[in-house]
Amino acid sequence: MSSPPTGVIHDIGYRHYDGVRLSRGYAATALALNSLRGVFGLGRTARSKIIPFLIAAVMLLPAVVSIAVMALLKQQAVGYSEYAVTMQAVLALFLAAQSPYLVAPDLRFRVLPLYLSRPLKVLDYVAAKFVALVIALFLLMAVPLTLIYIGELLVELETPVKHAEYFSSMGGAVIFAVVLASIGLALASFTPRRGLGVASVIAFYMFTLAASAVFFGVLMSEGQDPAAKWSILLNPFFLVDAVQVNLFGTEPTNGEGYPPGLGPAAITLLVVALALGALFLRYRKAASS
Amino acid sequence: MNPVVASITYRAMLGRKRIWLLAALPLALLAIAVLLRVFGGGDESTAVTLMQTFAIGTILPLLGLIAGTGVIAPEIEDGTIIHLLSKPIGRPTIIFTKFVVAASLMAAFSVVPTFLAAYLLIGTEAGIATGFAVGVLFAGIAYAAVFLLVGVLTKHAVVVGVSYALIWEGAIGGYVPGARKLSIQQWAQSLADQLSSSPFLKTDVALSFAVPAMVIVTVGAVIWAGQRLRGLSLTGDE
Repeated sequence: MSSPPTGVIHDIGYRHYDGVRLSRGYAATALALNSLRGVFGLGRTARSKIIPFLIAAVMLLPAVVSIAVMALLKQQAVGYSEYAVTMQAVLALFLAAQSPYLVAPDLRFRVLPLYLSRPLKVLDYVAAKFVALVIALFLLMAVPLTLIYIGELLVELETPVKHAEYFSSMGGAVIFAVVLASIGLALASFTPRRGLGVASVIAFYMFTLAASAVFFGVLMSEGQDPAAKWSILLNPFFLVDAVQVNLFGTEPTNGEGYPPGLGPAAITLLVVALALGALFLRYRKAASS
Repeated sequence: MNPVVASITYRAMLGRKRIWLLAALPLALLAIAVLLRVFGGGDESTAVTLMQTFAIGTILPLLGLIAGTGVIAPEIEDGTIIHLLSKPIGRPTIIFTKFVVAASLMAAFSVVPTFLAAYLLIGTEAGIATGFAVGVLFAGIAYAAVFLLVGVLTKHAVVVGVSYALIWEGAIGGYVPGARKLSIQQWAQSLADQLSSSPFLKTDVALSFAVPAMVIVTVGAVIWAGQRLRGLSLTGDE
Protein backbone atom coordinates (compact mmCIF):
# COMPACT_ATOMS: atom_id res chain seq x y z
CA MET A 1 0.00 0.00 0.00
CA SER A 2 1.44 3.30 -1.03
CA SER A 3 0.95 6.51 0.90
CA PRO A 4 -0.38 9.56 -0.93
CA PRO A 5 2.27 12.01 -2.10
CA THR A 6 3.24 14.43 0.59
CA GLY A 7 5.33 16.98 -1.31
CA VAL A 8 4.97 20.58 -0.16
CA ILE A 9 6.13 23.78 -1.74
CA HIS A 10 7.73 25.82 1.00
CA ASP A 11 7.60 29.58 0.97
CA ILE A 12 11.25 30.40 1.40
CA GLY A 13 10.59 34.09 1.46
CA TYR A 14 11.91 35.01 -1.95
CA ARG A 15 11.29 38.66 -2.66
CA HIS A 16 11.41 40.66 -5.81
CA TYR A 17 13.73 43.57 -6.09
CA ASP A 18 11.60 46.70 -5.87
CA GLY A 19 14.35 49.28 -5.68
CA VAL A 20 15.54 51.64 -8.35
CA ARG A 21 17.13 49.92 -11.33
CA LEU A 22 20.21 51.92 -12.22
CA SER A 23 20.83 52.60 -15.86
CA ARG A 24 23.29 51.34 -18.42
CA GLY A 25 25.23 54.55 -17.98
CA TYR A 26 25.60 53.91 -14.26
CA ALA A 27 27.01 50.44 -14.89
CA ALA A 28 29.47 51.79 -17.45
CA THR A 29 30.58 54.56 -15.09
CA ALA A 30 31.05 52.08 -12.25
CA LEU A 31 33.15 49.83 -14.47
CA ALA A 32 35.26 52.77 -15.67
CA LEU A 33 35.85 53.98 -12.12
CA ASN A 34 36.75 50.50 -10.90
CA SER A 35 39.13 50.06 -13.84
CA LEU A 36 40.74 53.43 -13.16
CA ARG A 37 41.34 52.48 -9.53
CA GLY A 38 42.68 49.13 -10.65
CA VAL A 39 45.19 50.70 -13.05
CA PHE A 40 46.88 52.33 -10.06
CA GLY A 41 46.54 49.17 -7.98
CA LEU A 42 43.90 50.64 -5.66
CA GLY A 43 41.64 47.91 -4.36
CA ARG A 44 44.22 45.30 -5.36
CA THR A 45 47.12 43.70 -3.51
CA ALA A 46 50.00 45.77 -2.18
CA ARG A 47 52.33 44.15 -4.69
CA SER A 48 50.31 45.40 -7.64
CA LYS A 49 50.56 48.98 -6.33
CA ILE A 50 54.37 48.98 -6.55
CA ILE A 51 54.80 49.42 -10.29
CA PRO A 52 52.14 52.10 -10.96
CA PHE A 53 53.16 54.18 -7.96
CA LEU A 54 56.85 53.85 -8.75
CA ILE A 55 56.18 55.04 -12.31
CA ALA A 56 54.00 57.91 -11.06
CA ALA A 57 56.82 58.95 -8.72
CA VAL A 58 59.34 58.90 -11.58
CA MET A 59 56.96 61.03 -13.64
CA LEU A 60 56.83 63.60 -10.83
CA LEU A 61 60.59 63.71 -10.35
CA PRO A 62 61.45 66.20 -13.14
CA ALA A 63 58.59 68.46 -12.00
CA VAL A 64 59.95 68.56 -8.45
CA VAL A 65 63.48 69.20 -9.71
CA SER A 66 62.13 71.91 -12.02
CA ILE A 67 60.38 73.69 -9.14
CA ALA A 68 63.55 73.52 -7.06
CA VAL A 69 65.56 74.97 -9.94
CA MET A 70 62.96 77.72 -10.40
CA ALA A 71 63.06 78.63 -6.72
CA LEU A 72 66.85 78.57 -6.36
CA LEU A 73 68.17 79.68 -9.74
CA LYS A 74 65.16 81.67 -10.98
CA GLN A 75 65.23 79.71 -14.23
CA GLN A 76 62.78 77.45 -15.96
CA ALA A 77 64.24 73.94 -16.17
CA VAL A 78 61.67 71.78 -17.97
CA GLY A 79 59.28 73.16 -20.57
CA TYR A 80 55.61 72.21 -20.58
CA SER A 81 55.15 70.90 -24.10
CA GLU A 82 58.27 68.72 -24.06
CA TYR A 83 57.40 66.92 -20.82
CA ALA A 84 55.61 63.93 -22.34
CA VAL A 85 58.19 63.40 -25.09
CA THR A 86 61.08 63.63 -22.63
CA MET A 87 59.44 61.11 -20.34
CA GLN A 88 58.29 58.83 -23.16
CA ALA A 89 60.11 55.72 -21.94
CA VAL A 90 58.38 56.00 -18.56
CA LEU A 91 54.97 56.57 -20.12
CA ALA A 92 55.47 53.63 -22.48
CA LEU A 93 56.48 51.44 -19.55
CA PHE A 94 53.32 52.45 -17.67
CA LEU A 95 51.19 51.75 -20.72
CA ALA A 96 52.81 48.36 -21.25
CA ALA A 97 52.64 47.37 -17.59
CA GLN A 98 49.07 48.45 -16.92
CA SER A 99 47.02 48.10 -20.10
CA PRO A 100 47.11 44.28 -20.04
CA TYR A 101 45.65 44.43 -16.53
CA LEU A 102 42.55 46.13 -17.93
CA VAL A 103 41.84 43.59 -20.63
CA ALA A 104 43.68 40.32 -19.96
CA PRO A 105 42.03 38.90 -16.80
CA ASP A 106 38.46 39.23 -18.10
CA LEU A 107 39.42 37.55 -21.37
CA ARG A 108 41.50 34.87 -19.69
CA PHE A 109 38.84 33.80 -17.18
CA ARG A 110 36.06 34.22 -19.77
CA VAL A 111 33.89 36.40 -17.56
CA LEU A 112 32.77 38.73 -20.32
CA PRO A 113 29.25 37.14 -20.47
CA LEU A 114 28.82 38.05 -16.80
CA TYR A 115 29.35 41.72 -17.58
CA LEU A 116 27.11 41.51 -20.63
CA SER A 117 24.25 39.92 -18.69
CA ARG A 118 23.88 43.39 -17.13
CA PRO A 119 22.53 46.39 -19.04
CA LEU A 120 26.11 46.87 -20.22
CA LYS A 121 26.76 46.46 -23.96
CA VAL A 122 30.07 45.50 -25.59
CA LEU A 123 30.52 49.10 -26.64
CA ASP A 124 30.03 50.31 -23.04
CA TYR A 125 32.54 47.79 -21.74
CA VAL A 126 35.19 48.79 -24.27
CA ALA A 127 34.45 52.49 -23.76
CA ALA A 128 34.69 52.15 -19.96
CA LYS A 129 38.09 50.43 -20.16
CA PHE A 130 39.33 52.95 -22.71
CA VAL A 131 38.17 55.98 -20.70
CA ALA A 132 39.78 54.55 -17.56
CA LEU A 133 43.16 54.20 -19.26
CA VAL A 134 42.88 57.62 -20.90
CA ILE A 135 42.18 59.26 -17.54
CA ALA A 136 45.04 57.34 -15.90
CA LEU A 137 47.53 58.41 -18.56
CA PHE A 138 46.23 61.97 -18.52
CA LEU A 139 46.69 62.18 -14.75
CA LEU A 140 50.21 60.85 -15.12
CA MET A 141 51.07 63.80 -17.38
CA ALA A 142 48.73 66.48 -16.02
CA VAL A 143 49.75 66.29 -12.36
CA PRO A 144 53.45 67.09 -12.92
CA LEU A 145 52.56 69.78 -15.49
CA THR A 146 50.17 71.41 -13.05
CA LEU A 147 52.78 71.21 -10.31
CA ILE A 148 55.28 73.06 -12.49
CA TYR A 149 52.59 75.62 -13.36
CA ILE A 150 51.74 76.24 -9.71
CA GLY A 151 55.46 76.49 -8.99
CA GLU A 152 55.85 79.03 -11.76
CA LEU A 153 52.94 81.06 -10.40
CA LEU A 154 54.37 81.10 -6.89
CA VAL A 155 58.02 81.67 -7.74
CA GLU A 156 58.43 85.11 -9.24
CA LEU A 157 60.51 84.60 -12.35
CA GLU A 158 61.73 87.48 -14.46
CA THR A 159 60.10 85.98 -17.55
CA PRO A 160 56.29 86.25 -17.73
CA VAL A 161 54.27 83.21 -16.67
CA LYS A 162 53.60 80.94 -19.65
CA HIS A 163 49.84 80.53 -19.28
CA ALA A 164 49.30 79.66 -22.93
CA GLU A 165 52.02 77.04 -22.95
CA TYR A 166 50.58 75.35 -19.87
CA PHE A 167 47.09 75.15 -21.29
CA SER A 168 48.24 73.95 -24.71
CA SER A 169 50.38 71.27 -23.06
CA MET A 170 47.33 70.13 -21.11
CA GLY A 171 45.48 69.86 -24.42
CA GLY A 172 48.44 67.94 -25.78
CA ALA A 173 48.30 65.63 -22.76
CA VAL A 174 44.71 64.72 -23.68
CA ILE A 175 45.81 63.80 -27.21
CA PHE A 176 48.78 61.82 -25.87
CA ALA A 177 46.49 59.94 -23.49
CA VAL A 178 43.92 59.10 -26.18
CA VAL A 179 46.50 57.89 -28.72
CA LEU A 180 48.55 55.85 -26.23
CA ALA A 181 45.50 54.30 -24.58
CA SER A 182 43.94 53.20 -27.86
CA ILE A 183 47.19 51.62 -29.11
CA GLY A 184 47.97 49.98 -25.76
CA LEU A 185 44.51 48.48 -25.26
CA ALA A 186 44.25 47.25 -28.85
CA LEU A 187 47.62 45.46 -28.65
CA ALA A 188 47.04 44.07 -25.17
CA SER A 189 43.55 42.76 -25.99
CA PHE A 190 44.87 40.28 -28.53
CA THR A 191 46.31 38.00 -25.89
CA PRO A 192 44.69 36.77 -22.69
CA ARG A 193 48.11 36.40 -21.07
CA ARG A 194 49.39 39.37 -19.09
CA GLY A 195 53.10 38.77 -19.69
CA LEU A 196 52.62 38.45 -23.42
CA GLY A 197 50.45 41.58 -23.45
CA VAL A 198 53.18 43.57 -21.69
CA ALA A 199 55.74 42.23 -24.15
CA SER A 200 53.71 43.11 -27.23
CA VAL A 201 52.97 46.68 -26.12
CA ILE A 202 56.59 47.36 -25.22
CA ALA A 203 57.80 45.63 -28.38
CA PHE A 204 55.59 47.96 -30.42
CA TYR A 205 56.99 51.01 -28.64
CA MET A 206 60.64 49.99 -28.84
CA PHE A 207 60.23 49.01 -32.48
CA THR A 208 58.72 52.35 -33.49
CA LEU A 209 61.30 54.19 -31.37
CA ALA A 210 64.24 52.48 -33.08
CA ALA A 211 62.73 52.55 -36.57
CA SER A 212 61.97 56.28 -36.40
CA ALA A 213 65.47 56.99 -35.05
CA VAL A 214 67.20 54.95 -37.78
CA PHE A 215 65.17 56.38 -40.66
CA PHE A 216 65.41 59.93 -39.31
CA GLY A 217 69.19 59.66 -38.89
CA VAL A 218 69.84 58.09 -42.28
CA LEU A 219 67.49 60.36 -44.24
CA MET A 220 68.82 63.49 -42.51
CA SER A 221 72.41 62.55 -43.29
CA GLU A 222 71.44 62.14 -46.94
CA GLY A 223 69.86 65.59 -46.98
CA GLN A 224 66.29 64.37 -47.53
CA ASP A 225 64.87 66.58 -44.78
CA PRO A 226 61.13 66.37 -45.63
CA ALA A 227 61.21 62.57 -45.80
CA ALA A 228 63.18 62.46 -42.55
CA LYS A 229 60.59 64.63 -40.83
CA TRP A 230 57.83 62.30 -41.96
CA SER A 231 59.72 59.19 -40.88
CA ILE A 232 60.17 60.38 -37.30
CA LEU A 233 56.38 60.31 -36.97
CA LEU A 234 56.64 56.50 -36.79
CA ASN A 235 57.15 56.99 -33.08
CA PRO A 236 53.70 57.73 -31.59
CA PHE A 237 55.18 60.24 -29.16
CA PHE A 238 56.64 62.34 -31.95
CA LEU A 239 53.42 61.93 -33.93
CA VAL A 240 51.40 63.49 -31.13
CA ASP A 241 54.09 66.11 -30.57
CA ALA A 242 53.76 67.05 -34.25
CA VAL A 243 50.00 67.44 -33.81
CA GLN A 244 50.66 69.54 -30.73
CA VAL A 245 53.11 71.74 -32.61
CA ASN A 246 50.79 72.25 -35.58
CA LEU A 247 47.69 72.73 -33.48
CA PHE A 248 48.89 74.84 -30.55
CA GLY A 249 52.10 76.28 -31.98
CA THR A 250 54.37 74.84 -29.28
CA GLU A 251 58.09 74.28 -29.75
CA PRO A 252 58.99 71.02 -31.53
CA THR A 253 60.82 68.64 -29.19
CA ASN A 254 62.88 66.83 -31.81
CA GLY A 255 64.86 70.00 -32.59
CA GLU A 256 64.22 69.77 -36.34
CA GLY A 257 60.52 70.43 -36.70
CA TYR A 258 57.75 68.32 -38.16
CA PRO A 259 55.87 68.23 -41.45
CA PRO A 260 53.48 71.21 -41.38
CA GLY A 261 49.78 71.11 -42.08
CA LEU A 262 47.08 68.65 -41.16
CA GLY A 263 48.96 65.48 -42.19
CA PRO A 264 50.11 64.44 -38.71
CA ALA A 265 46.67 65.12 -37.24
CA ALA A 266 45.04 63.00 -39.95
CA ILE A 267 47.47 60.14 -39.27
CA THR A 268 46.76 60.42 -35.56
CA LEU A 269 43.01 60.22 -36.11
CA LEU A 270 43.47 57.25 -38.41
CA VAL A 271 45.66 55.42 -35.87
CA VAL A 272 43.15 55.99 -33.06
CA ALA A 273 40.22 54.93 -35.24
CA LEU A 274 42.00 51.77 -36.41
CA ALA A 275 43.05 50.81 -32.88
CA LEU A 276 39.62 51.39 -31.37
CA GLY A 277 37.94 49.57 -34.26
CA ALA A 278 40.22 46.57 -33.75
CA LEU A 279 39.53 46.65 -30.01
CA PHE A 280 35.77 46.72 -30.55
CA LEU A 281 35.86 43.87 -33.09
CA ARG A 282 38.04 41.82 -30.72
CA TYR A 283 35.51 42.21 -27.94
CA ARG A 284 32.50 41.54 -30.14
CA LYS A 285 34.14 38.26 -31.08
CA ALA A 286 35.09 37.47 -27.47
CA ALA A 287 31.56 38.23 -26.28
CA SER A 288 29.98 35.81 -28.72
CA SER A 289 32.32 32.92 -27.95
CA MET B 1 69.63 18.52 -20.10
CA ASN B 2 66.35 16.71 -20.24
CA PRO B 3 65.12 16.12 -23.82
CA VAL B 4 61.47 15.75 -22.85
CA VAL B 5 61.39 19.04 -20.97
CA ALA B 6 63.23 20.66 -23.86
CA SER B 7 60.74 19.40 -26.46
CA ILE B 8 57.76 20.52 -24.38
CA THR B 9 59.31 23.96 -23.95
CA TYR B 10 60.03 24.25 -27.67
CA ARG B 11 56.43 23.37 -28.44
CA ALA B 12 55.13 25.95 -25.96
CA MET B 13 57.41 28.62 -27.39
CA LEU B 14 56.86 27.99 -31.08
CA GLY B 15 53.31 26.70 -31.10
CA ARG B 16 51.56 29.72 -29.65
CA LYS B 17 51.23 33.34 -30.64
CA ARG B 18 54.66 33.95 -29.15
CA ILE B 19 56.28 32.77 -32.36
CA TRP B 20 54.75 35.77 -34.14
CA LEU B 21 56.49 38.12 -31.72
CA LEU B 22 59.68 36.10 -32.12
CA ALA B 23 59.47 36.13 -35.91
CA ALA B 24 58.00 39.62 -36.47
CA LEU B 25 60.91 41.55 -34.98
CA PRO B 26 63.68 39.90 -37.04
CA LEU B 27 61.52 40.24 -40.15
CA ALA B 28 61.13 43.94 -39.42
CA LEU B 29 64.90 44.24 -39.11
CA LEU B 30 65.37 42.62 -42.51
CA ALA B 31 62.64 44.77 -44.03
CA ILE B 32 64.31 47.93 -42.78
CA ALA B 33 67.68 46.76 -44.11
CA VAL B 34 66.10 46.19 -47.53
CA LEU B 35 64.37 49.59 -47.43
CA LEU B 36 67.60 51.37 -46.54
CA ARG B 37 69.40 49.53 -49.31
CA VAL B 38 66.73 50.47 -51.85
CA PHE B 39 66.85 54.13 -50.84
CA GLY B 40 70.60 54.12 -51.26
CA GLY B 41 71.68 54.25 -47.64
CA GLY B 42 73.94 51.23 -47.97
CA ASP B 43 77.09 52.72 -46.50
CA GLU B 44 79.12 51.67 -43.52
CA SER B 45 77.88 54.27 -41.04
CA THR B 46 74.24 53.41 -41.82
CA ALA B 47 74.94 49.74 -41.26
CA VAL B 48 76.62 50.44 -37.93
CA THR B 49 73.73 52.71 -36.85
CA LEU B 50 71.16 50.11 -37.84
CA MET B 51 73.03 47.38 -36.00
CA GLN B 52 73.57 49.48 -32.88
CA THR B 53 70.11 50.98 -32.44
CA PHE B 54 68.04 48.25 -33.99
CA ALA B 55 69.74 44.86 -33.81
CA ILE B 56 71.44 45.34 -30.44
CA GLY B 57 69.37 48.16 -28.96
CA THR B 58 65.88 46.87 -29.75
CA ILE B 59 65.59 43.38 -31.19
CA LEU B 60 68.10 41.75 -28.86
CA PRO B 61 66.60 42.79 -25.50
CA LEU B 62 63.04 42.23 -26.74
CA LEU B 63 63.77 38.75 -28.03
CA GLY B 64 65.74 38.02 -24.86
CA LEU B 65 62.70 39.09 -22.89
CA ILE B 66 60.25 37.00 -24.88
CA ALA B 67 62.46 33.92 -25.02
CA GLY B 68 64.03 34.22 -21.56
CA THR B 69 60.87 34.82 -19.58
CA GLY B 70 58.66 32.90 -21.99
CA VAL B 71 60.27 29.52 -21.32
CA ILE B 72 59.30 29.55 -17.65
CA ALA B 73 57.20 32.53 -16.52
CA PRO B 74 53.84 31.45 -18.05
CA GLU B 75 54.15 28.05 -16.39
CA ILE B 76 54.76 29.67 -13.02
CA GLU B 77 51.95 32.16 -13.62
CA ASP B 78 49.26 29.59 -14.28
CA GLY B 79 50.67 27.04 -11.87
CA THR B 80 51.34 24.22 -14.34
CA ILE B 81 55.00 24.26 -13.32
CA ILE B 82 53.91 22.10 -10.38
CA HIS B 83 53.50 19.12 -12.72
CA LEU B 84 57.06 19.59 -13.87
CA LEU B 85 58.45 20.13 -10.37
CA SER B 86 56.80 16.99 -9.03
CA LYS B 87 58.71 14.80 -11.48
CA PRO B 88 62.00 13.24 -10.43
CA ILE B 89 64.08 15.74 -12.37
CA GLY B 90 66.57 17.95 -10.59
CA ARG B 91 65.45 21.55 -10.52
CA PRO B 92 68.83 22.88 -11.66
CA THR B 93 68.46 20.44 -14.59
CA ILE B 94 65.07 21.93 -15.43
CA ILE B 95 66.52 25.44 -15.36
CA PHE B 96 69.52 24.41 -17.43
CA THR B 97 67.24 22.80 -20.03
CA LYS B 98 65.03 25.88 -20.19
CA PHE B 99 68.15 28.04 -20.53
CA VAL B 100 69.45 25.95 -23.44
CA VAL B 101 66.06 26.26 -25.17
CA ALA B 102 65.95 30.03 -24.67
CA ALA B 103 69.57 30.44 -25.81
CA SER B 104 69.01 28.36 -28.94
CA LEU B 105 65.91 30.40 -29.80
CA MET B 106 67.96 33.56 -29.37
CA ALA B 107 70.59 32.21 -31.71
CA ALA B 108 68.03 31.28 -34.35
CA PHE B 109 65.88 34.41 -34.18
CA SER B 110 68.47 37.12 -33.54
CA VAL B 111 71.89 36.03 -34.82
CA VAL B 112 70.79 34.92 -38.29
CA PRO B 113 68.67 38.03 -39.03
CA THR B 114 71.40 40.32 -37.66
CA PHE B 115 73.99 38.79 -39.97
CA LEU B 116 71.60 38.86 -42.93
CA ALA B 117 70.58 42.48 -42.35
CA ALA B 118 74.18 43.67 -42.16
CA TYR B 119 75.10 41.54 -45.17
CA LEU B 120 72.19 42.99 -47.18
CA LEU B 121 73.40 46.50 -46.45
CA ILE B 122 77.15 46.29 -46.97
CA GLY B 123 78.13 42.70 -47.63
CA THR B 124 81.12 41.54 -45.63
CA GLU B 125 82.78 44.95 -45.59
CA ALA B 126 84.88 45.77 -42.50
CA GLY B 127 83.71 42.62 -40.76
CA ILE B 128 80.58 44.36 -39.53
CA ALA B 129 78.21 41.50 -40.31
CA THR B 130 80.34 38.85 -38.59
CA GLY B 131 81.26 41.12 -35.71
CA PHE B 132 77.69 42.00 -34.84
CA ALA B 133 76.49 38.43 -35.37
CA VAL B 134 79.04 37.17 -32.84
CA GLY B 135 78.26 40.02 -30.43
CA VAL B 136 74.53 39.33 -30.69
CA LEU B 137 75.09 35.60 -30.19
CA PHE B 138 76.91 35.93 -26.88
CA ALA B 139 74.83 38.84 -25.63
CA GLY B 140 71.71 36.87 -26.55
CA ILE B 141 72.87 33.96 -24.41
CA ALA B 142 73.54 36.34 -21.51
CA TYR B 143 70.12 37.98 -21.94
CA ALA B 144 68.41 34.58 -22.02
CA ALA B 145 70.07 33.62 -18.72
CA VAL B 146 69.33 36.93 -16.99
CA PHE B 147 65.70 37.10 -18.06
CA LEU B 148 65.19 33.44 -17.18
CA LEU B 149 66.37 34.32 -13.67
CA VAL B 150 64.03 37.33 -13.56
CA GLY B 151 61.18 35.06 -14.69
CA VAL B 152 61.82 32.78 -11.71
CA LEU B 153 62.32 35.64 -9.25
CA THR B 154 59.21 37.72 -9.90
CA LYS B 155 55.76 37.55 -11.43
CA HIS B 156 56.30 40.90 -13.09
CA ALA B 157 59.22 39.51 -15.05
CA VAL B 158 58.43 41.29 -18.29
CA VAL B 159 58.03 44.69 -16.65
CA VAL B 160 61.24 44.30 -14.65
CA GLY B 161 63.15 43.10 -17.71
CA VAL B 162 61.87 45.94 -19.86
CA SER B 163 62.79 48.45 -17.16
CA TYR B 164 66.34 47.14 -17.24
CA ALA B 165 66.59 47.27 -21.02
CA LEU B 166 64.73 50.54 -21.55
CA ILE B 167 65.53 52.62 -18.47
CA TRP B 168 68.94 51.34 -17.35
CA GLU B 169 70.56 50.42 -20.65
CA GLY B 170 68.65 52.91 -22.79
CA ALA B 171 68.03 56.06 -20.78
CA ILE B 172 70.51 56.01 -17.89
CA GLY B 173 73.25 54.43 -20.01
CA GLY B 174 72.82 57.33 -22.42
CA TYR B 175 73.77 59.92 -19.78
CA VAL B 176 75.88 58.08 -17.22
CA PRO B 177 78.99 56.46 -18.69
CA GLY B 178 79.46 54.22 -15.63
CA ALA B 179 76.07 52.58 -16.20
CA ARG B 180 77.27 51.30 -19.57
CA LYS B 181 79.69 48.95 -17.84
CA LEU B 182 76.76 46.97 -16.49
CA SER B 183 74.95 46.77 -19.80
CA ILE B 184 74.70 43.58 -21.82
CA GLN B 185 74.16 45.63 -24.98
CA GLN B 186 77.50 47.38 -24.46
CA TRP B 187 79.24 44.04 -23.99
CA ALA B 188 77.79 42.93 -27.31
CA GLN B 189 79.18 46.07 -28.95
CA SER B 190 82.62 45.45 -27.45
CA LEU B 191 82.63 41.99 -29.01
CA ALA B 192 81.46 43.38 -32.35
CA ASP B 193 84.13 46.07 -32.22
CA GLN B 194 86.82 43.49 -31.66
CA LEU B 195 85.92 41.61 -34.84
CA SER B 196 85.18 44.59 -37.05
CA SER B 197 87.58 47.20 -38.35
CA SER B 198 84.90 49.85 -38.92
CA PRO B 199 85.88 53.34 -37.70
CA PHE B 200 82.19 54.19 -37.11
CA LEU B 201 81.90 51.70 -34.27
CA LYS B 202 83.15 53.03 -30.97
CA THR B 203 82.70 51.23 -27.69
CA ASP B 204 83.09 52.33 -24.10
CA VAL B 205 83.62 49.01 -22.38
CA ALA B 206 86.92 47.19 -22.71
CA LEU B 207 86.82 43.64 -24.01
CA SER B 208 88.85 42.49 -21.01
CA PHE B 209 85.90 43.55 -18.85
CA ALA B 210 83.06 42.56 -21.17
CA VAL B 211 83.97 38.91 -21.74
CA PRO B 212 84.47 37.90 -18.09
CA ALA B 213 81.38 39.92 -17.11
CA MET B 214 79.30 38.12 -19.72
CA VAL B 215 80.50 34.69 -18.59
CA ILE B 216 79.99 35.47 -14.90
CA VAL B 217 76.52 36.92 -15.47
CA THR B 218 75.38 33.99 -17.62
CA VAL B 219 76.69 31.24 -15.36
CA GLY B 220 75.68 33.07 -12.21
CA ALA B 221 72.14 33.71 -13.43
CA VAL B 222 71.59 30.07 -14.43
CA ILE B 223 72.92 28.76 -11.11
CA TRP B 224 70.93 31.27 -9.08
CA ALA B 225 67.77 30.47 -11.01
CA GLY B 226 68.32 26.78 -10.35
CA GLN B 227 68.77 27.39 -6.63
CA ARG B 228 65.76 29.69 -6.59
CA LEU B 229 63.55 27.08 -8.27
CA ARG B 230 64.41 24.58 -5.53
CA GLY B 231 62.62 26.76 -3.04
CA LEU B 232 59.89 28.12 -5.29
CA SER B 233 56.62 28.83 -3.53
CA LEU B 234 53.50 28.94 -5.64
CA THR B 235 51.23 31.75 -4.57
CA GLY B 236 47.80 32.37 -5.98
CA ASP B 237 46.96 34.89 -8.62
CA GLU B 238 46.26 38.34 -7.26
